[in-house]
Amino acid sequence: MTLLSVRGVSKRFGGLVAVNNVSFDVAASELVGLIGPNGSGKTTLLNILSGLADPDGGEILLDNVPCQGLTPERLAHRGVMRMFQLTRVFRRMNVIDNLLVAGRALGLGADEALARAHALISELRLDVIRHLDAGQLSGGQMKLLEFGVCFMVPPRIALLDEPFAAVHPTMKEIMGDFIRARHEKGQTFILVSHDMPVVVELCPRAVCMNAGDVIIDATTREVLNDPRVIEAYLGGQAA
Amino acid sequence: MAPSSATSPAGNRSGVQLSNTKTTVEFRAALVAMAIVALIPLGVSNPYWLGVLIVSMYFAILAGAWNLLAGYTGQFSLAPATFAMIGAYTTGLLNHYFGVPPLLGIVAAVVVSGLVGLLLGRAVLRLVGPYLALTTLSFAEIMRLVASNSIDITRGDLGLGVAGLLDSRIGWYYLFLGALVVLLILFYMLLRSKAGLFLQAIRDDEVAARRAGVNVVFWKTTAFAISAAASGFAGALYAHFAELVTPELGLIGQTGLIVSMTVIGGMGTLAGPVVAAFLVYVLSEWLRDVGGYQLVVFAALVVIFARFFREGLWGLARAAVQRWGRA
Ligand SMILES: Nc1ncnc2c1ncn2[C@@H]1O[C@H](COP(=O)(O)OP(=O)(O)O)[C@@H](O)[C@H]1O
Ligand SMILES: [Mg+2]
Repeated sequence: MTLLSVRGVSKRFGGLVAVNNVSFDVAASELVGLIGPNGSGKTTLLNILSGLADPDGGEILLDNVPCQGLTPERLAHRGVMRMFQLTRVFRRMNVIDNLLVAGRALGLGADEALARAHALISELRLDVIRHLDAGQLSGGQMKLLEFGVCFMVPPRIALLDEPFAAVHPTMKEIMGDFIRARHEKGQTFILVSHDMPVVVELCPRAVCMNAGDVIIDATTREVLNDPRVIEAYLGGQAA
Repeated sequence: MAPSSATSPAGNRSGVQLSNTKTTVEFRAALVAMAIVALIPLGVSNPYWLGVLIVSMYFAILAGAWNLLAGYTGQFSLAPATFAMIGAYTTGLLNHYFGVPPLLGIVAAVVVSGLVGLLLGRAVLRLVGPYLALTTLSFAEIMRLVASNSIDITRGDLGLGVAGLLDSRIGWYYLFLGALVVLLILFYMLLRSKAGLFLQAIRDDEVAARRAGVNVVFWKTTAFAISAAASGFAGALYAHFAELVTPELGLIGQTGLIVSMTVIGGMGTLAGPVVAAFLVYVLSEWLRDVGGYQLVVFAALVVIFARFFREGLWGLARAAVQRWGRA
């Protein structure tokens, strides 16, 4: 069953085509890796999917209902949760309150939200810092917190933009375990990552973008062995 | 910055616990301060100083209302005095022209200023930082000039005479104090509810708030409306206390005082701005005798606090208590 359908989506910034006629489907319970060198359009695509950017063309269907042009808050209520590449937390609110914002905004009662916040805090091993303001956390702890925010109410689809970047290996492992466990229970993800070993390990399927185009959409093994992908990454490094 | 985790055993308690103890501590401190204010007339009967304290309470309401908008929601509007003026003129004009009794006029003032606040909030929805400040400042000046120049209706700078409400100064003292305490209770309840979470989330990161599903348009305009309604309420009370309404209520200098009180007391703390309103206003009365330096002094204090003591006097007091508790 198709949960998310991206059909011919494009986005231009002036003369630059950041996302070029991108199409792919994500089935329910799938965990899709989205890879590609820097500047290939991954974040822009997630911005479009989460309502932060308007596509110049194309269509996005969520549960077979068009959803392009909806605001981020409407999409959040429809079950699209997104983690930012540049971490976003509520810096002057403590860890618990950061989680409660999402829980309460998405319709949980006070007690239910608090119980879920505490469950997430222990699952993500944030116990020791749960009363600290988010602005006082380390970069990795902030990422872990933002990661938790995405799962206060299990989303229809979680869009994670480089959750492992610059994160301590221990926390990377916590996030990896969490993603694996939720995936086994049927959670749907798009995971953007530069960390190829993790992508190989977690994602059965990968989509690779380069300069706005989807250059291949296949099993992760096939994608990583594809000459176009190797070329794209090497070309990106040379530039 | 980390009150509960650093010093209290709350971090070790298991199971469900309250995360908004910070607000509760601040609320209790504010109530203690108000209890002290309630006792002052036992020792002070000089009508001049009682009057100074009544005006302090007027400003405490305005500082509390502005703090809700600027300190908790991050919307740096520069029109709080304007809403007091709108509230004062609402009941003043109703009373002057239609003989509407003060109590009814005060209710109307709350509604009208709240609605104007809602409209202003809508209009400035997409503005941030200096753009928001400048736009609300222009709004404030326009409203004041309208009040000042509509001489046929408002009698301009001469002011509009309105009916009194109470005969005794002590009566007014406790009426203002009661109003202030009621507003503190309402703000406390608001901040402890999910609204408090959403407002602070908007202050800290609007995009993250939207990602989390917070209806930013609704909550921002609500914050504007509530803040404006509370300011209008203070202005309407003041109108019947002074028995006169003038455009001076909406002077930028008044907003300057409200901002000073809030920043010096501690933006985004429930107790700080309310308590600082008394300190700043009483100090300004003293400085008045020394010769008109009060605005310079307050401007300097605002800069110092904004730069070095982000949580104001409240933050300093809390740090002192924690150091003392650890020693
Ligand atoms: N707001 C923007 N304005 C102009 N150009 C942008 C903007 N956002 C992204 N770009 C450009 O679009 C391209 C794709 O960027 P991005 O989606 O961030 O790539 P990735 O996440 O794959 O590294 C880049 O060339 C980037 O410079
Ligand atoms: Mg990116």
